[in-house]
Amino acid sequence: MPNQPLGYTIEEGDDSMVVRLTGDIDGSGAAVFREITEATQGPVILDFTAVGFINSSGIALIVGFLAATRAVHQPVSACGLTSHYRHIFEITRLSDFMDIYDDETAALAVSR
Amino acid sequence: MTDGAQSPDNWASNREHLEVEVPEGAVDPKLTGRRLSGALQGFGQMWQKTYQVRLDGADVTPEHVIAEWKANYGEFWPDNQHFYAPIAGIEPGEVGVINASQGPITLSTGVMVLYADERSWTYMTPEGHVFAGWVTFSSHEDADDVVVAQVQLLIRASDPIFEMGFKFGAGRIEDRIWQHTLRSVASHFDVDAEPTTEIVCVDKKRQWKNFGNVKLNLAFRSMGRSLISPFRGR
Repeated sequence: MPNQPLGYTIEEGDDSMVVRLTGDIDGSGAAVFREITEATQGPVILDFTAVGFINSSGIALIVGFLAATRAVHQPVSACGLTSHYRHIFEITRLSDFMDIYDDETAALAVSR
Repeated sequence: MTDGAQSPDNWASNREHLEVEVPEGAVDPKLTGRRLSGALQGFGQMWQKTYQVRLDGADVTPEHVIAEWKANYGEFWPDNQHFYAPIAGIEPGEVGVINASQGPITLSTGVMVLYADERSWTYMTPEGHVFAGWVTFSSHEDADDVVVAQVQLLIRASDPIFEMGFKFGAGRIEDRIWQHTLRSVASHFDVDAEPTTEIVCVDKKRQWKNFGNVKLNLAFRSMGRSLISPFRGR
């Protein structure tokens, strides 16, 4: 199966910005994460519902994004991860730095 | 990427603490029971370091490069660094042991294979390692269809002692290790090429709340072992 390019849309809510990611997250998504970093402010929810595959270079991009947001005290949470990628976020200890919710509704409920 | 490259099996299964089978001849780094530590858990500034070499003229594919690199990984390292590959090979969840000599001191540590597919694999470091983070080895074709071998680190020094070490030259030693590795990889494919190095500071801030990582410092443990070993025989 060929890689699906990483894409995103941003929805600005009252209390947070929801970044809906689509496609696969690998090293080729660096420019997309740079755009997301520049386009977001305040609390951010990364929605992984429409993400297919994440490889280790993709995890590195998420780490870079977390580092950038932490530098400006911008809280980040995640939702829509499959159980597999929840485990990966635990192994890589990304989950130490972002709250993980089952879905967007749960994430938004907490951010209010 | 092939179907195989997009399988959950490419990732290490979830484990809270490391279990290490120490290969014969290796100094035991005593990693069993330690947790993994990523770039977010370390102390120092966060760096992304990318080293690349173009295998211009070599009749190889990225998959071939990675297969050969995995099979000969330890041999591509500098002479004073020894990598004991996991018995099962470079496979997700396996732990390799590193014995690195610097003068009379042998630093014993290790890394876990976090991820592996046909075109890349990634090591993640344990608590107490020199740096906390990931090292990803990969191969791809560049815009000119030349196959490139790459090492990319996303790391921060684990604790204040190692951070000071990085400021006083350990960072350059790190650079030389990976440049040497890539020269060796190129040479393996009969290519004489000089690697490129790109270093980006991802996060300038030090994480002072992780100052206490120093109590897990594997260099202290290794130093202690090196100092007492003449008195207890080997």
